[in-house]
Amino acid sequence: MTVSPVARSRRSRPLRGRPELYTSYRQDMALLNTRGKRVSVLLMVLVAAVLPMLLTDEFLTIAATGMVFAIGAIGLNLLTGYAGQVSLGHAFFVGVGAYTAAYLSGDPDGRYLGLGVDNVLIWLPAAGLVAAATGFLVAPIATRLRGLYLAVVTLGLVFIGEYVFSEWRELSGGGGIGREAATPILFGNNLARDGASYTEEQKLYWLFLVTLIVLAVLARNLARSKIGRAFAAVRDRDVAAGVMGVELSRYKLIAFTVSSFYAGVCGALMFVGVGQFGPTQFGLLMSIQFIAMVLIGGVATISGSIMGAMLIAALPRISSELPALFSFISTAPNEHPNIFEIEQVTYGVLIVAFLLFEPRGLFGIWWRARTYWKSFPFSY
Amino acid sequence: MNRTTLRFAALASAATLVLTACGRDDDNEGTASGPGITSEPCPDAVDDSKGCIYLGVISDLTGPFAPVGVPLTAGGKAFWDKVNADGGIGDYEVNVTEYVRDNKYSPDTHAQVYGQIKDKVLAMAQSLGTVATEAMLRDADAESLVVLPATLGSNWIFEDRVTEIGTSYCAEAMNSVDYGVDELGATGVAAIHFEGDYGDDAAVGAKIAAEARDVDFTDITMAPGGDAAPVVAELMRSKANLVVISTSPTELAQVVGGAAQAGFRGKFIGSIPTWNKALLGTPAKPALEALYLWASSFPGWDADTAGHEAMRAAAEAAKQDPNEYFALGWSGAYVMKAALEKAIEDDDLSREGLLKAATSLTGVDSQGMLPDGSGNYAGDPNEAAVRSTFLLKPAETGSSGATVEVDAFTGPTAEGYDFKEACYLQK
Repeated sequence: MTVSPVARSRRSRPLRGRPELYTSYRQDMALLNTRGKRVSVLLMVLVAAVLPMLLTDEFLTIAATGMVFAIGAIGLNLLTGYAGQVSLGHAFFVGVGAYTAAYLSGDPDGRYLGLGVDNVLIWLPAAGLVAAATGFLVAPIATRLRGLYLAVVTLGLVFIGEYVFSEWRELSGGGGIGREAATPILFGNNLARDGASYTEEQKLYWLFLVTLIVLAVLARNLARSKIGRAFAAVRDRDVAAGVMGVELSRYKLIAFTVSSFYAGVCGALMFVGVGQFGPTQFGLLMSIQFIAMVLIGGVATISGSIMGAMLIAALPRISSELPALFSFISTAPNEHPNIFEIEQVTYGVLIVAFLLFEPRGLFGIWWRARTYWKSFPFSY
Repeated sequence: MNRTTLRFAALASAATLVLTACGRDDDNEGTASGPGITSEPCPDAVDDSKGCIYLGVISDLTGPFAPVGVPLTAGGKAFWDKVNADGGIGDYEVNVTEYVRDNKYSPDTHAQVYGQIKDKVLAMAQSLGTVATEAMLRDADAESLVVLPATLGSNWIFEDRVTEIGTSYCAEAMNSVDYGVDELGATGVAAIHFEGDYGDDAAVGAKIAAEARDVDFTDITMAPGGDAAPVVAELMRSKANLVVISTSPTELAQVVGGAAQAGFRGKFIGSIPTWNKALLGTPAKPALEALYLWASSFPGWDADTAGHEAMRAAAEAAKQDPNEYFALGWSGAYVMKAALEKAIEDDDLSREGLLKAATSLTGVDSQGMLPDGSGNYAGDPNEAAVRSTFLLKPAETGSSGATVEVDAFTGPTAEGYDFKEACYLQK
């Protein structure tokens, strides 16, 4: 049997010992195009999967929060980092997702609106889809604007959202009171309750991990596809992209819709562990937090979004260790400077420092470290 | 076996080794009796031979309610410092400083910091924020966690694990309306309030009392930092001559000042969080002195009781200015002390034991600091609900800027009211 040259090149394997030599376009564009990446990703996933057996619940909660943040940060990075559309309205879409999930899984006979559909496999995608639909509706307005104007318009979304969420008491419980979050039932098992063999934190961690991996791979795939290249063209110079035949309104619409989907899923999961949430949480501060994750992690990188989200989630914990290092920082809240004030400041300092010294974010640090070892011992 | 299979086999065995060899340690820290109790002395112990009971504090230390959370935390600390100096409780001293965390008034931050300290504390000596506290109580590890709340919502009387102190905003508003109708001849009542667990609780109480006393009722909401002009206009339109107000001090000054200018002749009665001594330094001072009374179930900083005297001495030693939240932080701690003493007496100092002790209390000796009927958690919610109120008047002579005008009383509405669910939920 003869194999045609085309078919062979499609199936061709990279040459042993020549990791950067690609013999086909397909190899070059592969998701994990070097063995180093394949092995390290496999290892990372394995380590992440067994972490719940090693860490205490406290650190698991931080990691789990980081993973949920990461889903939202990936969404914002697709929109802002890849497609260049600055959005301050991310918190609004997170809120839409959170309330959709809470509505679907809520008790139909309870005080607040609910349908009693508490299967994760239903409310999780549904939360994403409803948020995506909202994004789809908003996108046409946004596609007519760019830069600061877009930022201000999306900022308006946050205020509209906060108002609607606060006033729609049957759904949200109202400010200062709140309602219960979605109940995560998977195959008859309530993940938010301690089970016989695993605790709440362990089960939720695994749920979040699987969701994050699926969504991160999807996002990475989107970014390296035709759509991703169109996003980059729009970001770098939208006029030039339009001249080259990239349909601007179409790709901005896609960016908004996909980004909102991620935000919705993030919102649906965000309060599952906490159990209760109020409408004031979806404010400007949350939007800014997501922008911080993207900037600190690395603009237009998926792995950067994850790193940034993890760092932001761990920041309160890190800064709570500070007083042990600096004896002049007090732990008593009525003395100054105290650790709680320092924590607030650390946040701002971190963003300023990253933009000044490491504009490519955590991903940039990783990039330099990798390049150093790749060319070792001839690294300069 | 090819290379890939080999590699996977190696990985799998490595993973198995890791899993079996160093599985996580799920045991609680501390002794057999549970988390938060050690036979080791407290850090900064007065007497090194005593063990230590750790209590957690999750408060708003940098967020919008930091002016409440910070002195409240300091008051609690001062109380326990005194208890420890006087010989502690049983064989223990009590520490409320090791596990102080900031929730920035956000439920998810609250949950996260609760996760940090939950295995290390016996109970919560303070938890600020209704959404955040309710969320914390949903945690699987909070099944028998005793919590001293830093809010006075009427929801807590329905929760066994929460040892609420003082009169709820709801019952207090009922008393305010009763006082207005009986003593001031009020014919129309308006409630000016924030939304949420605090403002709505008071507004619903005022509404219940207004209906019971058959006077007109107008509901006016105000956003934090909102514009006072439309609120005053609505108040003047409503013809109300008694206002139950539950906002923060900033809005209080604007509304009372605005109403005085518009020729309002009635009275404002404000919930506990409306007052701040600093208001006496604002242009609203004459209006407040003429039109405002401050409702509180606590007798104020200058009260002549043994508890207040000790508290004032401790505040002076800690260079703390007179502050009613400091006093509240101190007063609330009597409840926790009583529960701890009962648990030690029952020889069951664990979370379950403490919960059992707390829910069996029928009264607390607070050296006169808590209102009559406080600390009864044994009966049903209506027995537990404290219903008495003092009315204080702004005055330079009072250390915290106010002096008692009307001694503790319970109006007919609150007296006979049957609490079935939190007032703010009935909005």
